[in-house]
Formats: sequence, structure tokens, C-alpha cells
Amino acid sequence: MSALLSELRAALGRENLLSAPSELSVYDCDAFTIERSPPTAVVFPQSTEQVAAVVKICQRFAVPIVARGAGTSLAGGCAPRGGVVLMLTRLNKILQVDLRNRMAVVEAGVPNLRLSQALAGTGYHFAPDPSSQGASTIGGNVATNAGGPHTLKYGVTINHVLGLEVVWADGSVTQLGPVEDPMGLDLIGLLVGSEGTLGIVTKVWVRLTPNPQDYRAMRATFNSLDDASNAVSQIIAAGIVPAAMELMDQGILAAVEEAYHFGFPPDAAAVLVIEVDGPAVGLDRQQQQIVAFCQQFGAREVLQAATAEQRAMLWKCRKMAVGATGRLSPSYTIQDGVVPRTKLPHIIRRTAEIGAKHQIRIVNVAHAGDGNVHPILLFDERDRAEVTRALAAGREILEECIACGGSITAEHGIGIEKIELMDRLFGPNDLEAMRNVRAAFDPTNRFNPAKLIPQRT
Amino acid sequence: MIQRPNITETIAPKDQAAVADAVCTALRKNSPIYPIGNGTCLEYGWPPLQAGIALSLANLNRVIDHAADDMTITVEAGMTIDALNQRLAAHRQWLPVDVPHSDRATVGGAIATDASGPRRYAYGTMRDYLLGFTAVDGQGRLFSGGGRVVKNVAGYNLCRMMAGSRGTLGILTQATLMVRPLPEAAALLACEVPTLDEAEKLLAQLVRLPVQPVAVELSAGRSPEGNPLFGPILEGHAARLCVGFEGAADEVDWMLGQLREGWKTLGVTSIVLMPNLTTDRLWRWLAALPADILINVLPSRLVGLIADVLRIAPDGAMQARAGNGSVAVKLSGEDNSIEPRHCDAIPLIRGMVAAAEGRMSIGHRSCGNGSHESDEAQLPPDLRIRRAIKERFDPHNILNPGQCCGEQHASSPAFCVSRPVQQNNI
Repeated sequence: MSALLSELRAALGRENLLSAPSELSVYDCDAFTIERSPPTAVVFPQSTEQVAAVVKICQRFAVPIVARGAGTSLAGGCAPRGGVVLMLTRLNKILQVDLRNRMAVVEAGVPNLRLSQALAGTGYHFAPDPSSQGASTIGGNVATNAGGPHTLKYGVTINHVLGLEVVWADGSVTQLGPVEDPMGLDLIGLLVGSEGTLGIVTKVWVRLTPNPQDYRAMRATFNSLDDASNAVSQIIAAGIVPAAMELMDQGILAAVEEAYHFGFPPDAAAVLVIEVDGPAVGLDRQQQQIVAFCQQFGAREVLQAATAEQRAMLWKCRKMAVGATGRLSPSYTIQDGVVPRTKLPHIIRRTAEIGAKHQIRIVNVAHAGDGNVHPILLFDERDRAEVTRALAAGREILEECIACGGSITAEHGIGIEKIELMDRLFGPNDLEAMRNVRAAFDPTNRFNPAKLIPQRT
Repeated sequence: MIQRPNITETIAPKDQAAVADAVCTALRKNSPIYPIGNGTCLEYGWPPLQAGIALSLANLNRVIDHAADDMTITVEAGMTIDALNQRLAAHRQWLPVDVPHSDRATVGGAIATDASGPRRYAYGTMRDYLLGFTAVDGQGRLFSGGGRVVKNVAGYNLCRMMAGSRGTLGILTQATLMVRPLPEAAALLACEVPTLDEAEKLLAQLVRLPVQPVAVELSAGRSPEGNPLFGPILEGHAARLCVGFEGAADEVDWMLGQLREGWKTLGVTSIVLMPNLTTDRLWRWLAALPADILINVLPSRLVGLIADVLRIAPDGAMQARAGNGSVAVKLSGEDNSIEPRHCDAIPLIRGMVAAAEGRMSIGHRSCGNGSHESDEAQLPPDLRIRRAIKERFDPHNILNPGQCCGEQHASSPAFCVSRPVQQNNI
């Protein structure tokens, strides 16, 4: 092992390598904290060439490589299983902003929010806005095909990636895009969301989205989940594509109210935070339509933000919701499941039943327009029995998502957290197809092994 | 006329199990199998060089499930795009992709070729709507990818891999597509542009205006016959720009006004408005316009490239998806006859595209916006991985052999020997 370390040291310099146990323990997990395992080494390459050098060295020593950005994965996507953690955080330059082509070129370690800040005043933004955007990197967004509240209208990361620079498993480097081969296979489409198992992305050509001219935000309070869900379906069926439609259930409303006193009625079954954006000319009409639909489905109250401050306040309720649960219990995990949108009330009701069965308190936020639920399971990490019950409850919720025709992750990825559910979602031939893809890119299984696809049984 | 050589028989299985059986049979006989959808675009890609079976998907044309409230639909791969859209229209929904020859083109064929048309600028390509699929691989195994929900990151995005893979990795039998509400209103503004320099000014202005067009189509050079809305580009002008809008009526009206004002500030006088119902006809016609070369560049390099190509091929017809930086070049005339001077132009155009950091593909025969293969002179940098994927999904190379990575054709300048063929001429 010392030969590996000395080669890495020679390639990168002493200052770009961590190998002391006390330093390594910092990298023993990501935001999925339930399973921990320290790496052999952590490296901080400064350039694509150094990334390639690390890959070649690890190939020679047959050591696994886990690429990592900010380490915000909630599914253990960048948790090590031995081997080398390759940090991309020093590849953090915004290389080009090209407004004529609505494109920016960034290194993989640039935090999502920093790109948005750099674009302030240009009239453009990078649309994917995962909740982790203050920390999570563009490279990490690419690896997980990250979403966020605005995906309903603006799509997920794959819809905003024009090109990638990739280090392959043999250490060679390829640029894919930003100009598309008219007849090519969509390798970018395979790499985005591949959780670091097919190649290491070092540079990204991202699409820039024009800022909307104006916004209208509103908050509708419902007495039942079905009413809220039916209102969502009606809004979409009417041809309105809101920028966001966020649902919060009674449990999370209580937590937010307890923490921040926004004035939610304590007995409301659900609140929708809805926003439309675009040319100002259509916004008042859309807002009126949405208010009418909500009232038609029994909304007891629809608040309309009249000022930018009121809009900010509405979003604050939603964005602080997850954090508010921290006041309710020592630990929590945020699950990520997805169902056909009309099954939303069903999955939230079943989630409550599953919580009761396992004696785990569960509250919910959801990207309602996408059918994407985020049940938040509250537990105490120090209580092993409770941790086990929380894991079992999470698993049962995802199984219910599968039973409803949905999927086990819409945003967070499979990582290690959900790998055991892959053969519930996919058949043997489907998983074999994925193994074939992996083998075509990384024949020696060097990149992030033991993730994403279960071993053949 | 080119012959479709060596097609031993055409079969039309009745369901996906029968498709799998057909592949197994082909495998036993060691015979290539060529999926042809509904047979509308047989000229796409390379002609079959090895004897083999043509497999029609025409009998797989059922709707499996239209979850209208979820805005998804699962259909068999042989259903035509127009039949799909008719079904969706009953719920005021549609698949917003301008698939060439949509009256006959199948869902599977549109996915396999990653079809798109003028409205790609706003709506994207087939790839952007494919949520899940079932296909038969080169060993006769049914496999699936994706699912029936609009947001899904479980495992690899095999949908993206299959879209545009041209039947080389698997024969699609079923697809789940995301659909959209039909727009309330549509309209387009067109103007004649005196010079190509002016055209670039208009395009550069367009990305700064607060409007979101669905299509940005720039025509230059010779005007092809049959345009349903317009005559030839006005005498003394270099190009025509058509900008389409769709959405709510108030938004479309407002954006039309913004663009009109913008154009006036740049001195554009000949502005024509085409209202609802007429725009579809233009987009459909443009989607099916034949071409000899497809070129992609960054949008900012597009007009310069068109000017370069017109200098050496002044009677060529250029139709650009200007917002996407994509241009279809037709060197041959209305009768599709290819002359030696067209062939002589190819290496020069290749040089221009390389200088503009673009990518191009050269057509063999004319068929919609298809019938192209990646230019062999600029093999893609990812070829090694493409070949590795192909070997894994089709180890005996029986699915559309020669269509994936071009290796068998490396020395064949097929552009110069190819001729257009009739539809369904197999």
C-alpha cells in the first residue's frame, strides 16, 4: 500500500494527498451517514491531467476510485468502500460564460450556487437547483442527474448538459460535445446520472436558461391530500406548467410551525406552494386560474404573494421545512421516491401507515408536479433498534412506490442505500443490460464499485 | 436506383414475444435482422451489405396504457406518430416532436433515429420524451429500461442510450412517453434578410430578447419547391428567418409584439405574420425536407458556415435550425441527382466544418432529414466505447449490422454512388 501512496504523492505532491487515519475518517461517508468505511487515501488533483494520472495509478494497483465533489449524496453515492477518494473540489474554475450560445463551461468542482452567483446580472441562470445547491458541485449534479423544485418546468440536469470532459477507466481523456455528432450514441445521456461508475467528469458545458421576466407565488391550504393532488392534476391538465408545485403534509407543517411560526393552520392536511414564471403578460391570468382550481378542489385558503418579500417568505417556509425537522428528533433521513402523479395521495397515506407500523414518525415534502415524494423519517441514531426500524420503514415506502408503478429514486440516486431494491424494480435482463453498459465503459470495475447495480446472484 | 440488396424475407411479428422469437431464429441462422418500423425510412443510414431479414413492427401498434392524468402513454413501437397524436388529442395532449413523415413513421423508428424537427428548439428530440422502453437485444432477450414516471434516476439511463441507437443495440417493442398539453395558440413571424451578416445580427438579437420561440428556422441559398406557406426567398435577399411561438394566446401575442419591435429596431421591413393552423404545415414540411449533409456547430458559428458553404455551392439549399446550430445542406437539385461537382464539394465542406469546430454527417440517399452516417473522416472520439456497448448488446452483430460504428464502411465514399430510392422499396 505504501507503494500506491508514494506514487500518488509523486504524481500530485504531498500537499494534495491525505493518508493519516485521522484525516481519512472525515471521508468515511457522505450525507448518508448510516454506513461508514474510511478510504485508503484521499487525493486532491488540480487538473484533468492529474485526475488521469490518479486513475492510471489506481488501475496499476487495482484499487477502487470514488470520485467526490461536496459529498452531499444522501444515498451513499460517494461513500468509499476502501480505495482512493478522488476529490474534484480543486477543479473549481468557471472557464467561460458564452451568452450568444447560452452556454457556460465550468470545471466539475464548481458549486452549483457559485455558478448562479457568477451569472447574476447576465439575465441567465443554470436551472437545476437541488436543495444542496449551496454546497453540491456541478460535477456531482451531473453524476446524480440532480433535480430540484423547478424540474417540473425546466427539467433535470441532463436537460442542461451540452458537453462533458471525461477521464475514462484507462486514464484517457475525451471531450463529448458541446456540439453533438448528428448520428452519435448519446454517451452524455448515459454518463449523466451514472453516479461516478462510468467515467470521471472533469469539465461540463452547461446550458444557460434565460431568467423569467416575472413570478407569481401562492400558497394554498387544503383539508385533504386528495383535494391538493386533484388541484395539481387540474392545473397541469389545463396547460399551465408552473415553475414549481411543492406539497407539504400535515406532519411537516406542524414541524415548520413549531420552529418558525409562519402561521399555518395546525389542522391543515396539506399545503401547496405554487409558483408560475415567464412573460409578465400571462402571469395574472395563470394565477387566477390556479386560485380558481384550488378553490374548486376545496382549498380553504389561497394566499397570493403580492410583493417580492412575500414571495421570499413563501419559499422560506418550503426551504426551511427539512431543517425544521431537526428540532423534532436527533436524526432524520430524507427518502426519495416517485410515483405517477395521481398516486400522490395514496403514497402519502401509505407512508403514514408504514410509519405507524414501524413506530417511526414520518413527515412529507413532495415535488407534487413530478410525483416525487420526500418522506422524512425521524429517529435517534443512538438507538440501534430505532435505526433498524427507520431503515425498514424507508424500504417499505419504496416498495410501495414500485407497487404503484413508480421508482425508488427520482433525484438522489441508488448509491449503496438503495442497491438492494434494484432487483425489485428491474428484472434480471434489465440489470444485465446495465452491467453490460458498465463493463463497456469500465471493464475492470474500478470506478465506484459496489454501487448502483447489485452483484449477479 | 440503388438496390436494397440481399433482403431474404420481410416478417411482421404480431407481438413482442414474436419479435424475440424472430431474433432467436435469425441468430440460429446467423442471419442479420434489419428492423424497419413501418418501412417509411428505409434509406436511413447504410444499406444492408449482408443478406438478412427485414423485420416490420407494423403489427405492434396498440396502446398499452394512456395515463392521461399523469401525462404519460405506453404504446407498442409500431404505432405511427400521427395515430399516437390522434389518441392524445382527445385529451388535448400531444407529443411535441416534429417527426418526419409522421403519418407513417413509427414510435419505435422515431426513437431509434432520435427524430426531431423545427420545434426542437423548445421541445427537444424524441430522447427527451422517452421515459421507459422494452426491447429485444441481439441474443433475443427482452429487456426494459426506465419506467412510467417522469422523473427517475434508478440505474443507468438506458432510454438515452436506446434513443438514436438506430436498432443496433435492440429492437424496440414498447415505449412509455411523456406527453404535453396541446398549446392554446401558435403563430410565426417571418422576414426576408438582405445579407447573411444581417441574419447573424437578427439571431444574436433573438437570444437577448425576452421571448421563448419554439422554432428558429433560417433558410438560405436555393429555395426548395413545395413550401406550403412561402414562395422562394425574395429576389435580392440572402435568407429568410422564421420564428415560431406557441403557448397561451396572451403570451404568444406578447412575444410576437416583442419580436416585431426588435426586428424594427434593426431595420427589418418585410415582416409577415402567419397565424394558428398554418404553422404546423410549415414545421411538418421542414421536418421532412431532404438533405445531403447534416452539420452541427455552435449557434454563433452557424451563419458564417452557411456563407462559406454557399461560396462553393451557390445553388445549394440550406435549411438551418438556427437556434440549435444545426443546418441541413442539400447540394443536389430538386430531382436529387448528384453530380461530380457535389462530390468535389464534400472535402471542402468537411474542412469548413472542422474549422468551425463542428460535426457533420453525410447522406447516402434522401429521406426526410435522415439517411446519414457519421462522417468517416472524423471518427468520433468515443468510438471505442460505442463499439464496446455494441459488442455487449449484440455480440453476434446481427442487429442492423454496419449501422453502429461504421467500421465496415470506412473506405466507402457512399455519398457519391448513392441515389434516392422510393419509399417501401425493399
